Amino acid sequence: MQPKQDFIQTIKDNEGIIYKITRVYAKDAEDQKDLYQEIVYQLWKSFDTFKGRSKISTWMYRVALNTSIAHLNREKKKGHTVSADFELLDRFNASLGKVQEPQLGATGSQWQEQIDILYAHIKELNLIEKGLILLFLEGKSYEEIATITGFTVTNVGTRLTRIKQKLKTNIQK
Amino acid sequence: MELEEMKTLWQEMSVKVEKQQIITDQLIMEMTQQKYRNKFSKLMMYEVSGAVICYIMAVFMLLNIQKLDTWYLLICGIFSVTFLAILPFFSLRSLNKIKRLEIANYSYKEALVRFAKSKKRVLLLQRMGLYLSPLFFLVVLPVMHKMFNGKDMFQSDVSAFPWVFVGIFFVFIILFSRWGYGCYKSMTNSAENVLKELDE
Repeated sequence: MQPKQDFIQTIKDNEGIIYKITRVYAKDAEDQKDLYQEIVYQLWKSFDTFKGRSKISTWMYRVALNTSIAHLNREKKKGHTVSADFELLDRFNASLGKVQEPQLGATGSQWQEQIDILYAHIKELNLIEKGLILLFLEGKSYEEIATITGFTVTNVGTRLTRIKQKLKTNIQK
Repeated sequence: MELEEMKTLWQEMSVKVEKQQIITDQLIMEMTQQKYRNKFSKLMMYEVSGAVICYIMAVFMLLNIQKLDTWYLLICGIFSVTFLAILPFFSLRSLNKIKRLEIANYSYKEALVRFAKSKKRVLLLQRMGLYLSPLFFLVVLPVMHKMFNGKDMFQSDVSAFPWVFVGIFFVFIILFSRWGYGCYKSMTNSAENVLKELDE
């Protein structure tokens, strides 16, 4: 398979991961689209050098999370700017919109509301905590979280216990 | 909502999101093109334009430095040229460093440390610029006055109007600097907190 097709397939198989990460780190829907584009660009840039050195998902989480931190750093320095390609943004917006459509019957909007609350609680956490809880919710083991984040397994455990406690307190407020 | 409920909800959402397959081949390839990444380039463009203006001014001053015929005007001239040459250089260098970071090579923890440190560096630079700007403004005025009008502002009779304007502008710059100091302080603190927490 050609690298281009291989890359397209990899993104298609894992687009949910990028969607969830961008939703946690972006300020709003517009920012989410920009971050999504930036992550895809960074993944493409490192796709050749990646060549199976680690699991696809490990590489993907690592690049996506690091790009999100970089994105936040740049956002604060430059303020708000508008992306140049409106056609692309419109199409992207339509694509992202489909994910958010509540086609879930009578309980769909309630479910959507709960999802929004869940994201709101995660967004309240700091950068370190956000990354760790996201991987935890993704069902990653402590070992996998340690590989992606660079923390030791013990440290991941300790931090997650603290984050869970913090989340619990925030939720009960 | 309990934590276990959160995890279940997240997993339910993951199943729904992963089923979507909304992104097209064309859209993916468009996103990989450099032309869509205009945001950071835009910031770089502002910085480069600013630097070019600073360097043109510095070259102009250097070419006319012989017009500064007193020791104090010469000191003002040297300070202005140094300010115009050094600050944009460091600013562009720090932005370039951030741009060259190979995101895929670092773990989340390493990336947090690198970005927090680079943020602290950029903030320090911006803070220096903020403090030095009022001084630069005061120093560059007599230099420009001498270069364009051939008059020494400290000795010749200058009408009151420009001084009123200078005074108002100077007060504005000081107020702006004080406001900026508060903003930079809180941003630097947040970068420091990240580094401190990572050390724990």
